[in-house]
Amino acid sequence: MNSRIAVSSARRASQRLIQRTTPDETTTHFGFKTVPEAQKESLVRGVFSNVASNYDIMNDAMSMGIHRLWKDHLIRKMSPSPDAKLLDVAGGTGDIAQRFLEFQDQGEPGQRVDAWARAEKRFAASKWMREGRIGFTVGNAENLEFIDDASFDVYTIAFGIRNCTHPDRVVREAFRVLKPGGRFMCLEFSRVENPVLASLYDFHSFHVIPRLGELIANDRGSYEYLVESIRKFPPQKEFAQMIRDAGFTTIGKGYENLTFGTVAIHTGYKF
Amino acid sequence: MNSTLLRRVAARAPLRRLYTTPSNHNLEILDHALTKVNELGWTRASVIAACQDLGYSSMAHGVSESGGLGLVRHFMDRALDETTIEVDDQLHEFDSTNDKLRFICITRLRQTLPYANRWHEAAALLAQPQNVPTAIDQMGKLASRIWYLAGDQSVRLDWYAKRSALAAAYVATEMYMCEDKSPDHAHTWRFLNRRIEEMGKADKLSQGVAAYGTQFGRNLYNILASRGFVPHQ
Ligand SMILES: C[S@@+](CC[C@H](N)C(=O)[O-])C[C@H]1O[C@@H](n2cnc3c(N)ncnc32)[C@H](O)[C@@H]1O
Repeated sequence: MNSRIAVSSARRASQRLIQRTTPDETTTHFGFKTVPEAQKESLVRGVFSNVASNYDIMNDAMSMGIHRLWKDHLIRKMSPSPDAKLLDVAGGTGDIAQRFLEFQDQGEPGQRVDAWARAEKRFAASKWMREGRIGFTVGNAENLEFIDDASFDVYTIAFGIRNCTHPDRVVREAFRVLKPGGRFMCLEFSRVENPVLASLYDFHSFHVIPRLGELIANDRGSYEYLVESIRKFPPQKEFAQMIRDAGFTTIGKGYENLTFGTVAIHTGYKF
Repeated sequence: MNSTLLRRVAARAPLRRLYTTPSNHNLEILDHALTKVNELGWTRASVIAACQDLGYSSMAHGVSESGGLGLVRHFMDRALDETTIEVDDQLHEFDSTNDKLRFICITRLRQTLPYANRWHEAAALLAQPQNVPTAIDQMGKLASRIWYLAGDQSVRLDWYAKRSALAAAYVATEMYMCEDKSPDHAHTWRFLNRRIEEMGKADKLSQGVAAYGTQFGRNLYNILASRGFVPHQ
């Protein structure tokens, strides 16, 4: 499908839906727009099927290229044990799964990763997928009913949870599918706490990124959505509390800020 | 004596302060991991083996932050708390501060004995540049606690000097002990006596520069460096 078409239809849909919203419908946020909850999922899908082809370019633009380092850090922090099985939700181009297997290959090879997301054609190219070490499934992070309780050692979701309608449900599902002692790790854009840096970052987010989106991907709307969705997502402490509320044990404050809080890694253990 | 501190220590298992959600699983894992150290070292492997023994996912090893270092830190916290509890009802039998110091140091050193064959690995880990802050923090806690238990609660100008001198005496003795093959470690205890007696002199020597809050860290760093613990800059 031509990505250009997918985006404009997603945008048209969102406009229509806003008009149709009535007070008794449950609504949620789509970027800064308020839309009926039932529609957010399809709107998000529109954004991602559209940006998928320019995916790495998008990540690079949004993070000024640092997202690779953040992902490396996530895996170093995780230090996968040789026998660990990973569920990587919102897998995108498989960056996390790939780094996970690379880390394990320095030790004992032969583990399997279930990378799981929505519109990831590029996964097919991965050598691990050909080797059967990565399994791939489509579903919604809020409802993983096709995955057994207590079946994974580690759960990751990188730059995915803020697109979900009910992040609390996502975290509860993560808790369910993890084995006792299993580890939940979320890498997500967060809040820059230093006010001076925060205002610079705001400028970059609201002016530079959408403009880059326009220039690189010819799609300003989707990039605007991505930036706005970051602002709507709960700040570090609130999200850490959501993780504890789902039953996880956190160490210390439960998160680590990277690059002044541009992104944060939240961690929880299932005990 | 020291009953407030004792109660505080007894009520607070090591590392508790790090955990905001009440859970003792992390302590259970770390304690069990200590039983693996003689076989697998001060490593992530020890922590993973403990998780597996206890029926947890191997990924629970993350409760020991930065792998082996977290295990070393856990051990040092535990050992210091055990020491505090052990010496509390016997300290009144000693009169002089030096005798008390000696008794407390011996009690603490005995905690390291079960790991004597592997302790140089922990020391090497603590000596890595990125772990020096942990080493300094741990030695600071050790020296403060020992001085406190020995009855010195003053916060005088020579406080930092006294702590660094004690930490240095302790570290040197611990290294000596791990190599000592004399019966009942008699040589080690003699070595410790000499270090404690020397301390008075070291104390006076460094008084002049002991007025800064960061002085302790700098003193200790230099002392550790002179013992080959940390690389010279
Ligand atoms: C920004 S990408 C992140 C991709 C990858 N984890 C990375 O870090 O590069 C977000 C991914 O989340 C997926 N996604 C969006 N909503 C989702 C939902 N409700 N459940 C599962 N995945 C979802 C999208 O398909 C997209 O692949």
